Amino acid sequence: MEMSRSDLQSKPRSLFEKVWDAHVVEELAGGNALVFVDKIVAHEITTPQGAFEIERRYEDKLFDPARIIAINDHVSPAKDTETAIQAKVLRDWAKRHGIVLYDIGQNGICHVVAPERGHVEPGSTMACGDSHTCTLGAFGAFALGVGTTAQGGAMLAGCLIVQRPKVMRVTLDGRLQHGATAKDLALTVVATLGFKGGTGYVLEYAGDALATLSMDERMTVCNMAIEAGATTGLIGPDETTFSYLRGRENQPTGDAFERKVDGWRELAADPDAVYDREVRIDLSALRPMVSWGTNPGEAVPIDGAVPANADAGSLRYMDLEPGRALRSIPIDQAFIGSCTNSRLSDLRAAAEVLRGRTVSIPTIVTPGSQAVKRAAEREGLHDVFQDAGALWTHSSCGPCLGMSMGVLAPGARCISSTNRNFPGRMGTGGRVHLASPAVVAASAVLGRIASPDELAVEALAAG
Amino acid sequence: MTIEGNVLPLDRANVDTDQIIPAHYLTGIETTGLGKHLFAGMTGGAELLAAHPDASILVTRENFGCGSSREHAAWSLVDRGFRAVVAPSFARIFFENAYNNGIAPIVVDDAAIDALLAAPRLQIDLEAETVLAPDGATFGFTLDPLRKQFLFSGGYMAFLAAKRDAVRTWLQRRAKGQLVQET
Ligand code: SF4
Repeated sequence: MEMSRSDLQSKPRSLFEKVWDAHVVEELAGGNALVFVDKIVAHEITTPQGAFEIERRYEDKLFDPARIIAINDHVSPAKDTETAIQAKVLRDWAKRHGIVLYDIGQNGICHVVAPERGHVEPGSTMACGDSHTCTLGAFGAFALGVGTTAQGGAMLAGCLIVQRPKVMRVTLDGRLQHGATAKDLALTVVATLGFKGGTGYVLEYAGDALATLSMDERMTVCNMAIEAGATTGLIGPDETTFSYLRGRENQPTGDAFERKVDGWRELAADPDAVYDREVRIDLSALRPMVSWGTNPGEAVPIDGAVPANADAGSLRYMDLEPGRALRSIPIDQAFIGSCTNSRLSDLRAAAEVLRGRTVSIPTIVTPGSQAVKRAAEREGLHDVFQDAGALWTHSSCGPCLGMSMGVLAPGARCISSTNRNFPGRMGTGGRVHLASPAVVAASAVLGRIASPDELAVEALAAG
Repeated sequence: MTIEGNVLPLDRANVDTDQIIPAHYLTGIETTGLGKHLFAGMTGGAELLAAHPDASILVTRENFGCGSSREHAAWSLVDRGFRAVVAPSFARIFFENAYNNGIAPIVVDDAAIDALLAAPRLQIDLEAETVLAPDGATFGFTLDPLRKQFLFSGGYMAFLAAKRDAVRTWLQRRAKGQLVQET
């Protein structure tokens, strides 16, 4: 049922509600709605099966190929015949339909490439067969990770069926300091809400602190909304958003762009909007966080220890005991990359720690896109990493999902800038500790969980 | 319609999609043949499946299917003969994927799960929305009134295909500025 203009004007709305209302094609039974999808991001692991279904049963007719972008990212370049076939299926399908394709040489992780190429707009809706699509909520888009069938449905009919989520306002106060980063905020949100505490909610971020966060940082924060079970994350657009988009490819230039900005400026929650739940986080109280367990909610400040009430199954898998100081845990491998932390600012933060130092364990640095890679190389970051003894790779999901390079041996312990520490996530039997790029870098140097300030202390002592 | 079958009791919470099917088995391009990888990422998963070879109903704890969007988790369950998963809660994307693949995601409370984990066999009546244990105990649940039709016909795509004209009309109205805008 359509609301009249006066209804909409009289009822104060959250940002989520505004984006939602503007995309509901039809209300459906059970609190579901048919929601129009402005853009679909398709990658090689989850797209082929849906594309085949449309080819076999629906005459290969897509709703609108211009609303789809395709990216080979998870295992790119392919590692074997099977993954080569996946990439080829996506590539051939994209070419057949005239779909924009980012392939070897211009690709990277879909959630890094899509915004970087100007495909994510405030107030739009996005869908992708990938749970970390929530990353794109950083632009004020309602960005939904979905299964293959749902993505296929969007390719076929331009819509998703979505159960209308509740909205949780997460108000951020203060400023990040004491070495805390956006990653530590993301981990804190998951630890605060719990691994499933966000289920059924959109996390709508609010508060004065947002203005202090860059787009890279906002993407890191929204990236981990799914780790609290949330439907997605959402941050209202502001000048930071507009300047990120200004001059991007796939965006208009000049007056045409500024007219879009005028529309985007209207995209803010009404001051008296009502939320289903409220959470407040003081950024100035945050410290670097590290996960000790087997879900991203099992994380504590780096100065802390494995909690006394830790889950027995998690402890067994991680081979840890309650009370164990995080800084005392030795590490076998370090990884900096993934859609959480592989953008230029993340690489800069890691390089700052590694400059002039040497890693003591195998360390892999994987930029999030080829564009990020080239930008990093123009700044000489590749030299910093390689001088430190780390491996500097091409862009890809890479070690994040244990599917191609950098797979962990059973029992091996990795400190990682990624978003998931599930059992076996980075390789069968492998153990993962989630942390910020700076903490991963410091840990790579010391061979145990460590923060950058420990290195500073060491340098002083040595000097 | 009734689903009747043996139970595989999985007394764990937060069973994530990497445990249901690890990423290194996601290299295919079809939805079939994935049952052999079910629970390949779970400690004790193979033993559990071996002990319940003909189970078609999975009973488990909260937040089942959390993590990745990989529909392979649902496909591997289907391929192994599962028709229902009974749990106190599901992660959103798995919940949707289950419906879209004919696996009934049945939500009952924790106390019911305690009882159902011990039942060797269950009868799930999807019309009456009840789970019946062999000892006669019954537990109610509610299916999503829209999505339950996808369980019977596998019809998510067909449902959307039938909406295409309506969506085009909506889009034309949006382009002409005839819809209430978001401001
Ligand atoms: S980097 Fe990791 S979490 Fe992100 S899309 Fe790739 S596999 Fe998924």
